[in-house]
Amino acid sequence: MLGSKSRFGKWWVYLVVTVALVMVIAPFAWMVLGSFKGEGELRRVPPTWLPESASLDNYTQLFAQLDFGTYFVNSAIVAVVVTAGNLLFCSMLGYALAMLNFPGKRVLLLLVLATLMIPGVVTFVPLFVLVANAGLIDSLPGLFLPFLAAPFGVFLMRQFISGLPPDLLDAGRVDGASELGIFARIILPLCGPALATLGILTFLGSWNNFLWPLVVAQTEKTYTLPVALALYSTGQNNTQYGLLLAGACVVVLPLLIVFLVFQRHFIEGIATTGIK
Amino acid sequence: MRTPAIAAITVAAALAVTGCGRPAENPSAAPQTAATVAEGPATGELTIWAMGAEGQKLPDLLKDFEAANPGVKVTVTAIPWSAAHDKFTTAITAQKTPDMAMIGTTWMGEFAGLGALDPTPASIDKGAFFPGAWGTTEVGGTSYGIPWYVETRLVYYRTDLAKKAGITTPPSDWDGLKAMAKAMQDKAGTKWGINLQPGGTGSWQTVMPFAWSNGAQLNNGDQWTFDTPQMAEAVKYYQSFFTEGLTNKTPAQGATQEPTFVDGSEPMFISGPWMMSAVEKVGGKGFADKYSVFPMPVKEKSASFVGGSNLGVFKTTKNRDAAWKLVQWLAKPEVQVKWYQMSTDLPSVTSAWQDPALTADTKLATFGKQLETAVAPPSFATWEQVAARFDAEIEKVAKTGADVDASLKSVQAEAQSIGTGG
Amino acid sequence: MSASTIAVPPLMEAAPSPVAPARPGKGRPGEGRAAWILAIPFTLLFLAFTVWPVAQSLFMSFTDTRQKDLRTPFSVNFIGIDNYVRALSDPVFQRAAANTAYFVVVGVPLTLAVALLAAVALDKGITRFRAVFRLGFYTPVITSIVAVAVVWRFILQPDAGLLNTVLSWFGIQGPNWLGDVQWSMPSLILMAIWRNFGTGMIIFLAGLQAVPYSLQEAAAIDGANTWQRFWHITFPLLRPTLLFVSVTTAIGYLQFFEEPFVMTQGGPLNSTISMSMYTYNQFGYGNYGVATAMSYLIFVVIAAVTAIQFRLLREKA
Repeated sequence: MLGSKSRFGKWWVYLVVTVALVMVIAPFAWMVLGSFKGEGELRRVPPTWLPESASLDNYTQLFAQLDFGTYFVNSAIVAVVVTAGNLLFCSMLGYALAMLNFPGKRVLLLLVLATLMIPGVVTFVPLFVLVANAGLIDSLPGLFLPFLAAPFGVFLMRQFISGLPPDLLDAGRVDGASELGIFARIILPLCGPALATLGILTFLGSWNNFLWPLVVAQTEKTYTLPVALALYSTGQNNTQYGLLLAGACVVVLPLLIVFLVFQRHFIEGIATTGIK
Repeated sequence: MRTPAIAAITVAAALAVTGCGRPAENPSAAPQTAATVAEGPATGELTIWAMGAEGQKLPDLLKDFEAANPGVKVTVTAIPWSAAHDKFTTAITAQKTPDMAMIGTTWMGEFAGLGALDPTPASIDKGAFFPGAWGTTEVGGTSYGIPWYVETRLVYYRTDLAKKAGITTPPSDWDGLKAMAKAMQDKAGTKWGINLQPGGTGSWQTVMPFAWSNGAQLNNGDQWTFDTPQMAEAVKYYQSFFTEGLTNKTPAQGATQEPTFVDGSEPMFISGPWMMSAVEKVGGKGFADKYSVFPMPVKEKSASFVGGSNLGVFKTTKNRDAAWKLVQWLAKPEVQVKWYQMSTDLPSVTSAWQDPALTADTKLATFGKQLETAVAPPSFATWEQVAARFDAEIEKVAKTGADVDASLKSVQAEAQSIGTGG
Repeated sequence: MSASTIAVPPLMEAAPSPVAPARPGKGRPGEGRAAWILAIPFTLLFLAFTVWPVAQSLFMSFTDTRQKDLRTPFSVNFIGIDNYVRALSDPVFQRAAANTAYFVVVGVPLTLAVALLAAVALDKGITRFRAVFRLGFYTPVITSIVAVAVVWRFILQPDAGLLNTVLSWFGIQGPNWLGDVQWSMPSLILMAIWRNFGTGMIIFLAGLQAVPYSLQEAAAIDGANTWQRFWHITFPLLRPTLLFVSVTTAIGYLQFFEEPFVMTQGGPLNSTISMSMYTYNQFGYGNYGVATAMSYLIFVVIAAVTAIQFRLLREKA
């Protein structure tokens, strides 16, 4: 480590960070513990911490009623396609906007930035009518196509790539690489941390998306996981908290895994660039 | 590069502007008459949307229908309650509606106004249903569907604490209710007398029963009538619970009524039949004997709010006959009873209440009695928006002691400018 | 954004560049064509699924479109800026705008500060268990809003809530956090910081990785202490990342919706209603003309705030 941090100093930092962690993670921990509690206990005020009689009832009920496999697969396909699509298309355009010159560049950049700032709710209904007219209702493409081109991703990649030294381009051209080859073989590998970040954020957004999949699906076989879980837990006048929390835990698990996998690429990215 | 783009956009905008305009408005449409339904068993395919728990349990019930009508196949799509309204409105906009659906009572006005629903055929007898519930299906004089199941609001109270407070029979009038709340605090030592919602989303469902019991109406034809003396008297009565310290003005956000009911700090509250199982879950074993319900106290009469869900058939359906046959089947008393046993949803058909399954429980019977005089707000498409304003004013009235007459005048003004969505 | 935020691998640093430094501008063969090949997939999808609905909704904001007109979008009256005027003179919308401003002005800097603090702590403060802490600090972002709401309601409860209990140890009588008009917004801001700092944290972490170790080392050898190193080396190199996180956080907070929707429904007495939530309600009532106008008013504000941030946080030449 850099500098002369005494052992005492480091120790203090660990303490602060651990206390912060406990405070930050408390609701998440409560959610997990709550999924093992009975309905009566969950409605009690003040909320209890450890379950009085832990049981898997909520989970067994959930899986018995849910056609879990179908919904999970739908969610997974949509999230993976949206994430992969964004990683690819956004880095392509981000690179073009950051480093190349072409007619219409300024207009495109302004358009992308502008739509980033438009509240999503305003395009919801026109988008639905468009998707309906295109015959994409109740289909998986209807679920992922509108989200393959997210302005956020372009903005992120452009910012990151702007920071790369332009000499890289020249060196590549001197070596005889094609323009596209420069992108694929020189620029892209350097974007590890940015791609990892974009991947996590995009996957998260897609996985937790509720309103769009609900509205686009006409039959239950096109439902994604969050939609199906809402079925089993929210009532007209009362909510089944046990099922809700169990469902929330089920939904969050893949996100944790994706996060852990992607963030390892942070560290690998660091290693190849020779930092630390 | 720039100028052609700007020119193109300007031309497009100009075209769009000149191209639009409303066609001449129709005079308010006369009540529609429905086509008749063909005789014979139902055939073909049907799609039906239903929310939440009803959506999950309906397929089981429908097995009987399919047995009685071989040749028909019904597909149920369950949709979650949260955002169900959005799902319906977007589906209607894009013309992607199912054949029929379970529709929330307060949505009827909006969907009928969008021209999405098919009028109820005359072969369905409206007298079979609770009048207030049937009223929720009527929009502009035409009925669009039937009430499927209903719910209404009663006063829940702790019988053991009431006994301590010296009350053995539930109150039957407004003074009695307030006296009971006071007695709970003074003699039974409870923190509050009664739990009432201090305004905010949905509080009209607790306030309006008092107003309706006092003979107030929300509308006269297609005019809103909020600032009437009867309404003011009822809201002042509601406000007095807060100003006299009988009710908590600032309850914890998102708190539900069971915990404080069970621990006795709020021994009375007003709600619907689903709370019975909720309080029993929290109260544990034996709690069912510690509480009971009584109807809304009488001022001019005892009126409460009737909610629940209706069944409607969409105009875009390709199998209209089968859809209405299914509706008729679901309204049969024996099917209504069976549905109650499967889902605990209360039947909307009055004769179903004669069944032993429903007469056995005294608390349930009280709900049945109240349903006879329960009413719903008018089925105007703008109700939700107007109700939100009403809720906001009630919040001021309850939490800050705002002047009731002035508040109601302001609601009336806003409601008039919002209109009734003709 | 011209400064290097990503270190050049040692290999490239060592090799001298045999040609003249890159000159911007046209004239490079195939550059334009390659650029368009790269841009086409995104652009097509973008035009179809984003730009077209935006154009449609923008058009709607100048008409008296209601729910039932959506199927016949041109059979509506063009009413110019009527909707915009109506929105701006609506007292509830004005209150919502004030609430939103409060939320952003207080919430964004605090969220950035916490996110940066967490990123620096995880990057330099500790060496072991980094993955655990990273994941832990990120959990608020991925926890279901329902679970978040239940726990935070408990934390903020007036009588037996966690926060008031802790305060009572110090002899302070805590208020009814969510039920008090004065304290409802601060409560939601606190909740929003907790919920969102994780996103900023991981982006800052990515940016911090790119600060060249060699520069830090050189400065340390020259006698700079930790704080000086941070302020004079790390922070300036972090500027583009800071701009990005600041802009995206502000854009998100200007549209804050979930917190008031789930926790307070805009109350008490409209003290927490946000512009987005009020607009959402208007969509729910079917007032499409007014609702789209409100959305575009929000857009104007977002654009203005973003422009300000670009000006403030831009790289000095």
